[in-house]
Amino acid sequence: MKDLRTRNLALYLVPTFLPVALLVYAPVVKSMVIAFRRYSMFDLRDTPFVGFGNFSDIFGDSAFPFLQILGNTFIWIFASLVLQFVLGFCLALLLREKFRGRGVYTSLVFYTWAVSGFAIGLIWSWIFNGQFGLANDILMRLHLISRPIGFLSNPKYALVAVIVANVWYGIPFFGIMLLAALQSVPKELYEAAKIDGAGAVGRLFRVTIPYISATIVSTTLLRMMWIMNFPEIIYGMTNGGPANSTNILATQMINKIYKEYNYGQGAALSLIIMVLLFILAFAYLSIANRKEFES
Amino acid sequence: MNRPSHIARIGRFTALALFLFFALGPLAWIIITSLKGPKEIYTFPIKYLPSHPSLESYRQLFRFANFGIYFRNSFFVTMEGAVGAMILSAFGGYALSRFKFKSAKRAMILVLYVTQTIPTFMLMLPLYLLMADLHAVDNLGALGLIYMVSVLAFCVIMAKSFFDRIPASLEEAAEIDGCSMLQSLLRVIMPLLAPGMVAIFSFAFVNIWNELFVAVLFMSSPDKLTVPVALNSFISKAGISWDVLSAGIVMALLPTMLVFAIGQRYIVAGLTEGGVKE
Repeated sequence: MKDLRTRNLALYLVPTFLPVALLVYAPVVKSMVIAFRRYSMFDLRDTPFVGFGNFSDIFGDSAFPFLQILGNTFIWIFASLVLQFVLGFCLALLLREKFRGRGVYTSLVFYTWAVSGFAIGLIWSWIFNGQFGLANDILMRLHLISRPIGFLSNPKYALVAVIVANVWYGIPFFGIMLLAALQSVPKELYEAAKIDGAGAVGRLFRVTIPYISATIVSTTLLRMMWIMNFPEIIYGMTNGGPANSTNILATQMINKIYKEYNYGQGAALSLIIMVLLFILAFAYLSIANRKEFES
Repeated sequence: MNRPSHIARIGRFTALALFLFFALGPLAWIIITSLKGPKEIYTFPIKYLPSHPSLESYRQLFRFANFGIYFRNSFFVTMEGAVGAMILSAFGGYALSRFKFKSAKRAMILVLYVTQTIPTFMLMLPLYLLMADLHAVDNLGALGLIYMVSVLAFCVIMAKSFFDRIPASLEEAAEIDGCSMLQSLLRVIMPLLAPGMVAIFSFAFVNIWNELFVAVLFMSSPDKLTVPVALNSFISKAGISWDVLSAGIVMALLPTMLVFAIGQRYIVAGLTEGGVKE
């Protein structure tokens, strides 16, 4: 009876793990192999092993300086992440106390989660349009600027513009995740802190943040990995331009695959992303696992 | 009510209003744009509201840009992927939740979590080559299948966390009463998991509906494009005409708005339960 049960359970797992093995893990391995081959769509029969050739091509690419792309990637990740987190945390704190219409408010604010990255890119490229954009209109009406700025055509502003769009997208995510964590903080802790004479700020840093630190660490790490792999907004707004100023590793990879059909370099770039992510993933998994097996 | 708390309240509601404005402003703006004619779209300083709101952009979208076909394609692919992932994750999540061998269970959960760190693009090329070998490129059914697998790992993680909250004694009692294992799962456990299934379906639906790059790579026939691919092709064609494009964006948002409106409560629960990737 027990054996039968275990066998059935194992059977139920097959339709999950077989497709994941065949269509996720096997392709990953194959992609790692492609990274070390010359692999172009124009000649799929001739794919010789080239060692680290694709990597040296990427590092030595003068049209797309690798260091600039790497720098953009880190600015993109950390600026987006910090702003998303801080604003999302503020939103969560604001939503913690009940008020009339909180449910409706939360669903309205949280809807941005369901908008596609590409659509977000398009919407914000319209807002930041250099001729007819809402951003220019508002800034001019407020007399902050005297003539329209080409936000997406000027290398000075383009990275800021795509980060604004990404922050817009990520605030509700953090808001919701952190709100759920905040609601688990026991009220007695605040009472105790109050008796000890802690003010609102003191309670925030001495009670709230330590109590939900596990959630903070896991959500920020996950989000960090996710933002790194997220070229859609940039693709919809600037596609890496102007002058490489918004090009990150992920958009560079899109360029290599969709424009140059250079699959070898595309795969090499994905391996670079993977290696950079590995450290973050390792940290995340140890936390996720601990959480998983505590319960 | 003393004074400082009164000020705090006003501050709080001002902040909440600003967040709401920032969240909805861009969406409202694209909807407003889609209701204007080209003349009013291309003016500066901006006219905030259309003087003659019309659905002309939408008429063009469906008449000349064949949007109806793309919509149908997207719907087919998304339903295939989301329903499939929901069904498989019910079995996978249940088995994972009830599995007795600790170390095997731990390894399997790890295998699922690791998929969340893999960049999607890393899979695209090998999948494309595989599908080319199977003559399944440019095939909507195959695209739906790939989408199903792409969201499956996270759906199973979510499902497992939902099953964990349902005591095993329920199905044990049913099995003592003579139910088979499958019967007890479908008749006793699944009804309790309905909200969880809504969350999983909504999560899968939104992610699949929005996917762009895999579809761009896989689909080439004009009558087999999905909505995001169609929007992408509007851009590549000689400049962007924002009247039709804005209408296209709004149409692309509608199904996810609908699914979100229905499943929002459960999605929130699912995401916060399951640890998270989008």
